[in-house]
Amino acid sequence: MTGAETRDSRDWNALSDAEFAAAVRSLVETKCPAALRHPPRRLRWAQVKPWYLTLSAEGWLAPGWPTEHGGMGLSPAKHLIYVEEMERAGAPRLLDQGLMNLGPVLITCGTPEQRAAYLPKILAGEHVWCQGYSEPNAGSDLASLRTEAVLENDEFIINGQKIWTSMAFDADHMFALVRTRKTGPKQAGISFVMIDMDQPGFTIRPIRNIAGDEEFCEVFLDNVRTPLSNLVGPLHDGWRVAKTLLGFERVWSGSPRQSLIVLLQLEQLARATGRMADPVFVDRYTRLALDVRDLASTYERFARSLRAGQGFGPEVSLLKVWATETSQRVTELLVETAGEYGGLLGAQEIADLHLDVLHPFLEYRAWTIYGGSNQIQRNILSKHVLRLPN
Amino acid sequence: MSSETTDSVRMLTDSVTAFVRDHTDHKRGRALRGALPGYDRKIYADMAGLGWFGVLIPESYGGAGLGFQDMAVVLRGLASGLLADPICAAVVLGARALLHGDNDDLKARLLPEVAAGRCLPGLAWSESHLELDPAVITTVAVRQGPNLLLNGTKRFVPGAASDFLVTALAPDGLVLCRVARDAPGVGLELAWRADGTPSATLHLSDVGVAAADVVASAQVGAASVRRALDEALVMASAELVGVMDAALTMTLDYMRTRVQYDKPIGSFQALQHKAADMYILRQVAEAVAGEAAELLDANPDERDRAMMASRAKARCGDAGLQITRESIQLHGGIGYTDAGDIGLYLKRALVLSAWLGNADLHRRRYACLAM
Repeated sequence: MTGAETRDSRDWNALSDAEFAAAVRSLVETKCPAALRHPPRRLRWAQVKPWYLTLSAEGWLAPGWPTEHGGMGLSPAKHLIYVEEMERAGAPRLLDQGLMNLGPVLITCGTPEQRAAYLPKILAGEHVWCQGYSEPNAGSDLASLRTEAVLENDEFIINGQKIWTSMAFDADHMFALVRTRKTGPKQAGISFVMIDMDQPGFTIRPIRNIAGDEEFCEVFLDNVRTPLSNLVGPLHDGWRVAKTLLGFERVWSGSPRQSLIVLLQLEQLARATGRMADPVFVDRYTRLALDVRDLASTYERFARSLRAGQGFGPEVSLLKVWATETSQRVTELLVETAGEYGGLLGAQEIADLHLDVLHPFLEYRAWTIYGGSNQIQRNILSKHVLRLPN
Repeated sequence: MSSETTDSVRMLTDSVTAFVRDHTDHKRGRALRGALPGYDRKIYADMAGLGWFGVLIPESYGGAGLGFQDMAVVLRGLASGLLADPICAAVVLGARALLHGDNDDLKARLLPEVAAGRCLPGLAWSESHLELDPAVITTVAVRQGPNLLLNGTKRFVPGAASDFLVTALAPDGLVLCRVARDAPGVGLELAWRADGTPSATLHLSDVGVAAADVVASAQVGAASVRRALDEALVMASAELVGVMDAALTMTLDYMRTRVQYDKPIGSFQALQHKAADMYILRQVAEAVAGEAAELLDANPDERDRAMMASRAKARCGDAGLQITRESIQLHGGIGYTDAGDIGLYLKRALVLSAWLGNADLHRRRYACLAM
């Protein structure tokens, strides 16, 4: 498969899984610059934009979108292969809020005018979107959000503060959940709006995280305006609009890939420093290796269900809990195995290795928190899967 | 998953579910404890009549010639009603060792009897609680004319077995021999497992074995036993998942109905999160046990098979124990009584976790194979 294949020129779903996987690999090998692959940190828009535009030109940018909207129209099975092969080949993560979140929302809940106005610009890389959901006092309890949108003459005037907005400094548009009604159930007074950030009233402050990186931001909205035509779904119905997203993507967060990356580092470190001859270490290492291996078995069950065209329900929360807690445990043993090097910041020369053990340990702290903390996932499991009473 | 579920799995699931619903009776189970044979002969015969013991036996030997995914359905289901013992020991471990051997006459004679529930072959392979390699033994078989003469001691032998299949070191390698329960020179010392089922130490003193009773010659002996052990490990894992199913269901029911502080205790978040963790563990164990059964049905090579079997047994053994322990805790005082049914599941998990090597031993085996 080469770039000679043009957009919509073939039905990807008709390929065998192996053929399709080879096509994804080939695309990355031939079109993605080596310097962009396997980046140690998330790339900025300026860095990743050429690859974004390449994918767009090849018609490979929006695997899950239907073909009539410029996507590849992949089945869940092929979509899974797409994600796995991209990850395996080290393709960098895109600025993907428009592709992953807003696009599917507009396709499901938007008006024809909204789709026509925004979907092509996402595909062209003209609009870079960020997500304005969480607030300082609305984290796990997202529905208590207070950023307020007041409707005046067919225009919303928005005031408030968003937080944990990934890559907001690179975005020019935000989709946000805002409060449009203060009475009644808190979920029933929230609306989903799209906002052009190229206007006065936006203040963006990056938040330096525990690993020393700046990816999340605080975003302050001070009399920011957006037309009523940028309301997605009915007024006050934004909670339901936002929820249409949850589910399908959550299986990705349960992939064993992140655990495997650090398990490999742990194995290299242990071999280089002679720890594989230590039975106490081997016992602990083997427990973790089996936790990771068994995660892969569990992940495969969900993936198979997707491949068979079946969805899954709230039970997918178990995958997030097991995947993230397993990967954290691996990073913990990684730091411990580094001994005193485990207290040093940055990459170190340990035996013949060049290894930064603290960065993954610190970075992975976030995983049990975002996307619904693991405690929220356990609430979901106990209420919606195990049907325990309130 | 369900899309690939075969018709045989679906039919077995239905019939096993109905059987377990109609036959689960913990009062009867309690009465069977601490005495031979340790299982209900009538129910065992009924199960044989349903064809379940022949699932893994080829059609040419009177079985159904189905696979491990099918047998897993039977064992998981029966385990949820504590009705599975001693099926895995007899129709998986014992019968598979016989099948993998090279004595076709004996297969033709015994395997149909196994399927019919009349023969319960008990593999006597273990001599140490710390050794998983069936070739590391001291029991010897010396030639005496046309016969072999066995001397040694075997431990953790299924106490309900009708016939023993004994491993021994002959001059040319490991052989597997059929020994009748009442053969001269056989001494049987019974002990009771945590759930009240019998375990035996087998003392063999100049026990004669005719050539016709050599189940596996030295050419195939060690490989036959290793394969049967791996297969039984995977099926024991399926059984453990069945124990987890029942313990989790019983515990969730209790949490919905037990009221304290004027609320069902299942409404308390600390307990809900414990339940969620139990559920996660069960799902992971189920995924691993399921993958293992699938692998066995796909004719894996020996190393893949061994690693998968140890991985499944390690996960399911630990998860089974953890879930049943937590179940006791969540049941509170009633969980600590002998009258409380949940304790029966903890004891079954203890037995199955220890059987054929616990999680610790299987992690070591996995680590050795992985290096």
